[in-house]
Amino acid sequence: MSFLDGLRHRLRVLLWRTSHERELEEEFRFHLDLDTAQGEHAAHGALTSRDARHAALRRFGNVSYHKEEVRQMTGLGFTDMARQDIRFALRTFRRAVPFTVVAILTLAVGIGANTAIFSAVDAMLLRPLPYREPERLMKVSLIVPARGTNPARDDVVWSYPKFATFRDAQGVFESVSLWTDLQGTVRMGDEAERLTYEITDSKYLPTLGIAPAVGRNFAADEDRAVGGPRVTLLSHALWTRRFSGDSAVIGKSLLVDGIAHTIIGVAPEGFRGMSGQSEFWVPILSMPAGEFDQAWSHSFVQVARLKPGVSPAEAKTAVVQLGAVVDRAWPHPEVATERWGARARELDATRVDPLIRRSLLVLLGAVGLVLLIACANVANLFLVRAAGRRREIAVRLALGASRARLVRQLLTESALLSLAGGLASVAIAWWGVKLLAAFQPAAVLRAQQSSGLGSVNFESIHLDTTALAFAAALTILTALVFGLVPALQATRPSVTERLKDASDVPSGRRLRAFSTRNALVVSEIAVALVLLVGAGLMLRSLSNLFAVRSGVTSDRVLTVRMTPPPGFGRDSLPGYYDTMLERFATLPGVSGAALSDCIPVAGSCNGTVVWLHDREKVPAGSEPSVGVHWMSPGWPTMMGVPLKAGRMFSSEDRLGGRKSVIVNETAARTIWPGEDPVGRPLSVGQGGFWPDTAYVVGVIGDVRYDGLTAAQTADVYLPYSQSPRARLTLFVRTAGDPAAIVPAIRRTMSELAPGVPLYDIRTMDARVADAMSYARFSTALLGLFAGVALALATMGAYGVISFAVAQRTREIGIRVAIGATRADVLRLIVGQGAVLVAVGAVVGVLAALAATRVLGSFLHEVAPSDPLTFVAIVAILVVAVITASWIPARSAASVQPTEALREG
Amino acid sequence: MAKASEPQKSELLRGTLDMLVLKTLTVRPLHGYAIAQHISRLSEEVLTVEQGSLYPALERLQKKGWVTSKWAESPTGRRARYYTITAAGRKQLGQEISSFDRVLAAIGRVMGKA
Repeated sequence: MSFLDGLRHRLRVLLWRTSHERELEEEFRFHLDLDTAQGEHAAHGALTSRDARHAALRRFGNVSYHKEEVRQMTGLGFTDMARQDIRFALRTFRRAVPFTVVAILTLAVGIGANTAIFSAVDAMLLRPLPYREPERLMKVSLIVPARGTNPARDDVVWSYPKFATFRDAQGVFESVSLWTDLQGTVRMGDEAERLTYEITDSKYLPTLGIAPAVGRNFAADEDRAVGGPRVTLLSHALWTRRFSGDSAVIGKSLLVDGIAHTIIGVAPEGFRGMSGQSEFWVPILSMPAGEFDQAWSHSFVQVARLKPGVSPAEAKTAVVQLGAVVDRAWPHPEVATERWGARARELDATRVDPLIRRSLLVLLGAVGLVLLIACANVANLFLVRAAGRRREIAVRLALGASRARLVRQLLTESALLSLAGGLASVAIAWWGVKLLAAFQPAAVLRAQQSSGLGSVNFESIHLDTTALAFAAALTILTALVFGLVPALQATRPSVTERLKDASDVPSGRRLRAFSTRNALVVSEIAVALVLLVGAGLMLRSLSNLFAVRSGVTSDRVLTVRMTPPPGFGRDSLPGYYDTMLERFATLPGVSGAALSDCIPVAGSCNGTVVWLHDREKVPAGSEPSVGVHWMSPGWPTMMGVPLKAGRMFSSEDRLGGRKSVIVNETAARTIWPGEDPVGRPLSVGQGGFWPDTAYVVGVIGDVRYDGLTAAQTADVYLPYSQSPRARLTLFVRTAGDPAAIVPAIRRTMSELAPGVPLYDIRTMDARVADAMSYARFSTALLGLFAGVALALATMGAYGVISFAVAQRTREIGIRVAIGATRADVLRLIVGQGAVLVAVGAVVGVLAALAATRVLGSFLHEVAPSDPLTFVAIVAILVVAVITASWIPARSAASVQPTEALREG
Repeated sequence: MAKASEPQKSELLRGTLDMLVLKTLTVRPLHGYAIAQHISRLSEEVLTVEQGSLYPALERLQKKGWVTSKWAESPTGRRARYYTITAAGRKQLGQEISSFDRVLAAIGRVMGKA
């Protein structure tokens, strides 16, 4: 087997390299000895052994050349050279420890931060969705035209009847399904838990390409009849947590809101529905009639899988037609002229909120700039070092080393450095990814009413092979970027010039190398300025956000969501809540208790329209839109919302009595401009306040419900006594730490209504912080990157200037000798730093003006070209760079002329 | 660089040298010096190459698996590396000889016609 023989030979050479080398040596010697002896013998003593040896050598040819040829033949040449290069590089690193450490750390930070942010970008934007052939999935939404002051919307959810019309008419999708998430109380034994679940149909799992791990999916007849069999699929997590992963669970029942559901299957591990939070699934039509079967109650997201052979573009066109079909089937009950439509988009395009997508890309850009600065810095270090090694390199060139060989040597050094940096960066990336994943924006994102898939969230960020491959690619790229330029430059000048250049007299060549270094520092300063301005703007925006008043006094307030116990209805609910409030108000450590349906700054409040009875009728559809809230009479006072006119709700506002509402200042101003709203008659589109007439009894201060950045809405408050509402949130103000009161609240509730779960227990302060957390998160990251950039750029300036000082010691000595003062020298050196920062600042400001425009949508009441930020940032940079040049300048100023001159 | 022009000669002879080495080894295993001697003696000194360039050729043949080598004692008592042709090497030699024959015949015809 020739192949095996050859392989064995190669292996032997590879494994026993030194012995192979020795054998070659021995073989050649044997050959020459034999030839010498042969020559001597043939000449019969006419040749001296020395001449015979020479003749033999002549016949043999150049021994080392042939040896090298054999070596190259065995393929050892290249690796040998690489080994040599590496050994040499390691030796030079040992001689320059500070240089090596600084370079490796700089690269580690640059690559690590990039890898961490890339992991986030990968998880949030790039990684394929965890469904079968995710590129074939589409999201289908309703389109609602603009009406009155309400803008048009193109991402509206579906009602079940409209979905059914769409489903039965469509022909472009293999299957269509719908889902929405709800919360339910699940009771097992004595323990009640509030869990998120999704209601959907039998096509949900097949559409996504998910098969149950245990049991079966919903059958088609289980989702087709209202009041059908009550069945449920469990998530893998719930199954293992509550049923210990026992497959005998099939056929058992799960109590959801007091109703038994038969367990028919378990979803595969990791699948939590498209909401990303579902603990179990229930078919839509097993829900009670009247709740999810109303054509004008829209709450479902529609997901569809393309038929084989149908392109997304074809489906989009078809969906526009189908939208018209649905609109004909379900004309608007009040506004006959209003035409609704439908549109389809690739599911992948809707995976995250556009704001998150943008901010991640901005962060990726920012961290990329940090890496660029890091590269510039390391390249600069290399240039400085290469300048110090000029003579070494010149000698090696003169001794016959080829330029390619030297470039390879220098590149080996940079490759080794970036390899070390890349390895160290994994630690930084690991830590950064943990930090990112720990960031929990779920509540915040809901608060901002952001779109996107719940299953694509920050928890899905982790350091995987993709991220590591990214880090490896970055490592190679950085090695090339910061290694090649200095390597080429260091080896460029001709040999003779280098050897002659024994003195430190500046030559044209050195000036060019010097200006490359200056250019690098100037661009570092410019890039750092862009990042700093970006971070500065975000910081200003964040401080503006802090200044936004939520409208409530949030300190020492605990918020607790709850549902009423089963069996309470419209007539008994107010009494139940009254009793509850009395109990809580008298709890030790509690200074006040109140109820409201919606938590300030947390979003997801109800909205409706109002009809004004003392005005001319406006066309249907252009009535004023308002936010609508239910509350106990004491809520505004307890929450620190001031009364501006009229009165608060009181015991007068009873069920069956004259209906009362309270409005906020914005409603008073926009609906009744210049008039007193108190006493005005109106109807409210929700809560049983339509078509009845209610009267405004008071005006209270504005409260921000929909996050902090959204425009203040006009709000109308209804008394819960006149409009009983099942689900309310308890607000408790405490004398001390609000968290300490939680056990007492739980105890009281279990006495009052055993088995009622309390959930989402958080302080109001935490909720206000939540509303700002995304802004805080991106500001913190951008600030961190900008800080690193500032430090690196300052270091770069420091390095270049101290190198210049070292090079100019003799020149400075001469200047001092002929009468320059200490101040002159300081001015000279600091002046160099000033020029660097001035040029860098001009370039940077121009670049920042262009770059910060992408921040526009993240900024709250700050212009992207905010002059104050720009001026402050330029000042910071100038101070930093001048300070950095001050240190070498001081050492230059203390140069003793005699010493400096003697040194040369 | 004087060396740069030198390989020209061996370049010309590379294929031929391989063939000659293989042919030489068909008789019995030989060490490098003996191969060199044998080739120059047989070719009546016409095909003398730098003897050193024999070793890269031997290395190449080993890599291809046409030749193997092992250390053994030479008649003088010194250790020497003996090269042996493998079955694959013999096959290769057969192919080379037949193609060489074809080339020779072609050259002969061309020269004959001229």
